Amino acid sequence: MKFKGFLKDVGGASRVTKARLEAFENASASPVKTDPISECMKAWHPGRIELELKEIIDTCKSAKSFRFVRKDGKELPYFYAGQYVVFDFEIGKCTVSRPYSISSSPSQARGKDGFLEITVRRAKQDAFISEYMLDKAKKGDVFTALVGNGQFFYEPLRDAKHVVALAGGVGITPFVSMAREVAAGKLPIDLTIIYGSEKEDDIVLKEELEKLGGKNVHIVHVLSGDNPGWKGETGFITSEIIKKYSAEDTTYFICGPQVMYRFVEKELKKLDIPQRRIRFEVFGQARDISRYDGFPQERKDKTYKVTVVRGKDKVTIPAKATESLVVAMERAGIRIETGCRSGECGFCRTKLIEGSVFVCPENDGRRAADKDFNYFHACSTYPLSNLTIQIPIL
Amino acid sequence: MKEKTKFYKDHYDVIVIGGALAGLSSALMLADKGKDVLVLERHNLPGGLATSFVRGGLEMEATLHEMMSIGKKDNRLKVGKFLDDMGVDIDWLEVPEAYHASLPGGVEVTLHPGFETFAREIDQAVPGTYEKVLSVLNLCHTVFDSVNYLSIHHMSKVQMLLKHPAFVKTAGYSTKEVLDTFNLPQAALDLLAPYWIYVGSGFSELPFTIYAVLMADYVGYGSFVCKKFSHEMSLKMAERAVEMGVQIEYRQNVEKILVKDGKAYGVRTERRDEIHADYVISGAYPNKVYTQMIEPLSEVPERAIKVVNGRRVSLTAFSVVLTLDRSPEELNIKDYSVFRATKTMDTDAQFKELGTLGPYTYTTTICLNLANPDCTPKGQTSLSITTLPRPEAWKNVKPEDYDRVKHEIARQLIKDISDYLGVNLFDHILEVVIETPMTVARYTGAWNGCIYGYAHTMEDHIIARLQTSEEERLIKHLEFAGAHQISGDGMAPQVTNGRKAAKNVLDSMAEEKEAAK
Repeated sequence: MKFKGFLKDVGGASRVTKARLEAFENASASPVKTDPISECMKAWHPGRIELELKEIIDTCKSAKSFRFVRKDGKELPYFYAGQYVVFDFEIGKCTVSRPYSISSSPSQARGKDGFLEITVRRAKQDAFISEYMLDKAKKGDVFTALVGNGQFFYEPLRDAKHVVALAGGVGITPFVSMAREVAAGKLPIDLTIIYGSEKEDDIVLKEELEKLGGKNVHIVHVLSGDNPGWKGETGFITSEIIKKYSAEDTTYFICGPQVMYRFVEKELKKLDIPQRRIRFEVFGQARDISRYDGFPQERKDKTYKVTVVRGKDKVTIPAKATESLVVAMERAGIRIETGCRSGECGFCRTKLIEGSVFVCPENDGRRAADKDFNYFHACSTYPLSNLTIQIPIL
Repeated sequence: MKEKTKFYKDHYDVIVIGGALAGLSSALMLADKGKDVLVLERHNLPGGLATSFVRGGLEMEATLHEMMSIGKKDNRLKVGKFLDDMGVDIDWLEVPEAYHASLPGGVEVTLHPGFETFAREIDQAVPGTYEKVLSVLNLCHTVFDSVNYLSIHHMSKVQMLLKHPAFVKTAGYSTKEVLDTFNLPQAALDLLAPYWIYVGSGFSELPFTIYAVLMADYVGYGSFVCKKFSHEMSLKMAERAVEMGVQIEYRQNVEKILVKDGKAYGVRTERRDEIHADYVISGAYPNKVYTQMIEPLSEVPERAIKVVNGRRVSLTAFSVVLTLDRSPEELNIKDYSVFRATKTMDTDAQFKELGTLGPYTYTTTICLNLANPDCTPKGQTSLSITTLPRPEAWKNVKPEDYDRVKHEIARQLIKDISDYLGVNLFDHILEVVIETPMTVARYTGAWNGCIYGYAHTMEDHIIARLQTSEEERLIKHLEFAGAHQISGDGMAPQVTNGRKAAKNVLDSMAEEKEAAK
């Protein structure tokens, strides 16, 4: 063995030990508390913050915009145009969360006067929270919120410079944020928004959109209802309309109701668009889980007993087969963290200890190993028997 | 004041802060010895950095390149054996090669595990070096065996010199000093260098002992990944621990470690649960514990501050994780891991570059499909490009510049690998996730986003760490488990670090029981 230079040197271990102890002796005795990397991180992801409702703006007959500022006077967190904010609502004894796409732009959130806006439309189903916001929320109300969630934003490394946004109904909001950012010269893309609505007076944020139209922002309304005198595009967002406003290399962003997704997906297929050029926003909970393949019809009217384990504590609550376990827990006043409420983000990751469940196949964003160990995302999972489940203590 | 809580027991034997690989290893070992253990993890998943995420319906590996210290089923190394012994049954997949080195001057060499194979392949690239390279590797192996033996057995200095001369005689020297004695041509030395990034110090600083362990383990015994991403390993460890009676609570951020009269007795969480235990094992860095977490701070001895100030935190991470819409073949990808240097393979120069915000000219590219073909749907590729900057390089990045900086670096890395492959990867990106030092800080709370603990240097030598470790246990009943401990960085060493913390607790329990008699 060849390390002849060291044959006589057997003192290495003592030498390095001495060196180390000397380094400690020579070190400063004053505590260094700064961690600049974590500080920078907190400007983007401070965790839950308090937002104060500053202004309520009527945007059309069925929707209002809500403008918030940060209550503690600090700057708002950074986020990307297209991301959503999760609000916690304290209603009665329940804490209920909802995600809302941010309709204001990232640059409008900067500075001391920075604000954040969401737009809420009166919902036909699951109207609990939209009614609360539209009818009860008032200036000065304070909400706990988690800003900057979701993967629905322009990624310059991946996406084409030419972006066509396909929006339906209140699904316009992330694109308003993007359009504002483009119009302010902060997002260097060419954005065309093709926006499907039923009636002209039903168009959410119509005036705002008109103001934003310009050099790099183009707005195309497509109306499906009966609109006498309307000169623009009519019908649904078909492949012909999409093609008309596309460039050779285009990335498509889609946000709207679930029915629109199914339609638009079919239309894009006709145009032979590669998968990497199509970005869907998650669309929320399934409208009617019992209509999915594999859902046992004989159980759809059942209500089960669900034992929720948190640490050493156990509570048993009722849960309907057709209502997600998140809803059952929120209804029973059990706090569970949720984000997207579409099975994607995994905030509501839950362990199934006993019983059987149905996971919405369209909203199954679980890791492979999680499936093996019976974890599920409670926002997109439904009880098919009495259950025992475990969630984090909040 | 103690807030009454229904969620926890009144008392535990041990509270482990952090459910990553080190903490879970501590928990497994303590539970195996019948101890009552509570693990508190800030994230809603186990594993810390050993995790995965789902984007657009695709699961993507967050960090694992390759696990060392596992070994084949019939010849397990210490980490593989520990996991087997604990009943943690992981679906290990062997990585097909050691690495492909793409070095300046058009050097393209693929090296495979096995000392003789490795030496022969270097000899093919740099003729006439077989004997010398093999003797380097044999020296590494001898030192590696000594380290493994001595980490379990106590021995007098004389005995050590007699039985472990190679270990003793190389102890005081850097990797550069030892390698220089072999008079190898630079081209061969360059091919022996790429793994340095897995231990984070250039060869003039890196203790040869660490280099020896690194080379012997990887080259001698190969490396492994998990079939279902590193989340499989983390989750299986966590589930096994629960099966053995450990209580694991996710989403619990520990803010304070409670200390009285120089002895830890519990923790307080962000949601203000105060939980008591005989012992606390901290996954949080000593830097954070001694400056922010000990309550009251007056219980922190001056020595503790000097110890953390006297050490240099090692590297953090920057990684571009891609899912591409072509198969590896279509993208000209032939190797699982490519260590690519475009400017120099001088490890000290490369280390220096990691103190900047780039451009980074030394990268590691991993194509997971080549060890785990099912990690993506057919016709797609999982590719990650990684560099490991020093926290100092990132400390002046302002929040308003963060997004620009991370995109500039990511673009440079993707472009560089596109040039290497002769394929424009930008035309094939299905999903891209950029992981930065800030991402590490966000999900793990690691001090300055550091993934590697303290730097392996001649002033912070592993042998010195072993010699003085007793003197660094400065608060009674408080142990540490994580990359900041003796074995340092890397996923497999976290298992060793976790076991060491558990052993300290068990020894202390036994001593106190003895003393009480």
